[in-house]
Amino acid sequence: MKKLLNILAVMIAALMFMSTGSFAKEVKVGVVWPMTGPIASFGQMAWKGAQIAQAMAPKTKDGATIKLILLDNKGDKVETANAVSRLITKNHVKAIIGAIASGNTLAAAPIAEKNHIPLLSSSATNPLVTKGKEYVSRVCFIDPFQGTVAAKYAINNLHAKTAAIVVDIAQDYSVGLAKFFVESFKKMGGKIVAKTFVQTGDQDFSAQISAIKAKNPDLIYMPTYYQEAALFARQARQFGLNQVIMGGDGLESDALLKVGGKAVEGVTFTTHYDPKATASKVGKEFLKKFKAKYKVDPDAMAALGADAYLVMVNAINRAGGSNASSEAINKAIRSTKNFHGITGVLTLVNGDAVKSAVVRKVKDGKFVYVTTVNP
Amino acid sequence: MKRNQILTIGSIVLLFLFIGYANGHLNAYYIRILNNTAIFLMFAASYNLINGVTGQFSLEPNGFAAIGAYTAAILTLTPAQKEAMFIITPMVPWLQHIHMSFFPALIVAGIVTAMVGFILGFPVFRVRGDYLAIVTLGFGLTIRVVSNNTMSITNGPLGLKGIANYTNLWWSWGFAIAAMIVIMRLINSEFGRAMKAIRDDEDAAIAMGINTFKIKMIAFVTSAFFEGIAGGLLAHLITTISPTLFTFFLTFNLLIIIVIGGLGSMTGTAIATVLVVWGSEWLRIVEQPMHIFSLTIPGIPGMRMVIFSILLIIIMIFAREGIMGQKEFSWDSLFKLFKTKKVANK
Repeated sequence: MKKLLNILAVMIAALMFMSTGSFAKEVKVGVVWPMTGPIASFGQMAWKGAQIAQAMAPKTKDGATIKLILLDNKGDKVETANAVSRLITKNHVKAIIGAIASGNTLAAAPIAEKNHIPLLSSSATNPLVTKGKEYVSRVCFIDPFQGTVAAKYAINNLHAKTAAIVVDIAQDYSVGLAKFFVESFKKMGGKIVAKTFVQTGDQDFSAQISAIKAKNPDLIYMPTYYQEAALFARQARQFGLNQVIMGGDGLESDALLKVGGKAVEGVTFTTHYDPKATASKVGKEFLKKFKAKYKVDPDAMAALGADAYLVMVNAINRAGGSNASSEAINKAIRSTKNFHGITGVLTLVNGDAVKSAVVRKVKDGKFVYVTTVNP
Repeated sequence: MKRNQILTIGSIVLLFLFIGYANGHLNAYYIRILNNTAIFLMFAASYNLINGVTGQFSLEPNGFAAIGAYTAAILTLTPAQKEAMFIITPMVPWLQHIHMSFFPALIVAGIVTAMVGFILGFPVFRVRGDYLAIVTLGFGLTIRVVSNNTMSITNGPLGLKGIANYTNLWWSWGFAIAAMIVIMRLINSEFGRAMKAIRDDEDAAIAMGINTFKIKMIAFVTSAFFEGIAGGLLAHLITTISPTLFTFFLTFNLLIIIVIGGLGSMTGTAIATVLVVWGSEWLRIVEQPMHIFSLTIPGIPGMRMVIFSILLIIIMIFAREGIMGQKEFSWDSLFKLFKTKKVANK
């Protein structure tokens, strides 16, 4: 009996040693992404991407482990503010990655500014997010750029002279992107012949379709999310409206293909990432590891989530490694130059990433790579 | 009676002493949670006035919160900020140039919301019961659609940003306590007794000569006024608002609070607000990876919602009327509790 107890005591001691034995240095980085709630799928994808990136670069140059502390914000502003505040005051993080949506990032921004903690968003594309801020940056391009790329492609490659716009009035993303597309399209000599509005959750688009059909435009620009676009495309084709439908990165989802079926064939959109456009070594490694672990291709959210992590690690290293202050990390993030990430080569100017955009389209029920447009 | 008043005033003074201490000593995270608590207490208490005390099951607080938040935010934003923010359509000129300090902006927000409540009261109180719930639910949804579409006033789905962070513990708790006092005084007045009569049996109340429409209106407008102010405080706490903040989920959260606390009990509302606001933050630990010796349990996002739902179910099974039912905390019952204990000790 005594012998057994001794063995048990040794085992417990060994276990405790193993758990507390990891005295290695670590750098804490907070992550605030929606893991539940209406935009949970985006947050979960980004988290998958960030985890793969972490596996690729788990340590700083001086050997400290990067510890990611993930807090769920439910896609909600109040929760985002709570989570960011908690990360800074309770977890004492050096820097924060997040949030997904522009509106939530805006709620986190003043807290980061006040505490001088860098906040790096993976996918907040609204131009207002970094405006006038010193500690808020992002690894994605902003909506004005995406709108310009779409307009260029429409005029130069699709030879469109007239366009109809379909805007989702309930999404800041859609309203912003539509505005910037219209501006560039007009500047390049195009003409907007119809502007129609839909709302997230709409099922019936016959009113908008007949309004567009009456004007017979060369192109329909629809910067909405995939659900509305898929249903719209189905109904448009039934009404004999066969123009090319273009959109933004919100269309990129398997649900578009599933719901849209044959109707979304030819739908073209601008986005951040295409696995085939990845030329860099780090991009190829990411693709391989991601496919091996999750059995699917990474999407833009995953790639941007990974890029947010990689830019962060790179900045920590340039700022001096594990002992770098938050101020120094912030400076390093904002002076990122020609960084080879998953989604391309990025340079940060005033906190906004300047980088190339990818044009993809639906062909034979799959997303295929069309071209890359440089800034 | 006098003893009770002194005790009540004493405990309010104590609360403010604590707030003074908290302001200087607690970290930003706890201060934020305390602010959230005060704002949600205000929302929930005024919502309970119409839902619990008057017994009119309605679902509109997200609409009132939105009106209050937008009014207060538009009033405190500077003209230059507004010009920089409205990138889709410029703001209507008279609204762009209007500018106020925080306190008057909150009061205006309350008055505007109360006025909307007053106008809304006429059509909605023509129906009772389930129909009232549906009509007011419609109002909450309408406000969201309106705020998305009136881009020259609300900046549409882009929302407003850069709102000054004026809300601190003094403002939030000051207004929350003021709201609680007004609501409690109202409940214990002639109007309050009429409200309870309407809740218990509306037809009997009419037969007794109570002008039920007027009484319901008083409850509704008071509730709208404080919800508007609470909305304004919320806007100046998180510094950015957009229509997505005021979805049905806000109403739903408040409904959970007042049902847990007990419909008609302000004490219960206060307890439940603390429980819900603090609980959902405290439960974040279950979503973190846990290390027990060398065993690592990965964090499961969403776990706190599961635990929260289970707690809700347990409360609803064992305390069907909520924590406090329709009872209120009173000093007398507290003293009685001690007295009976003393007797038992003998």
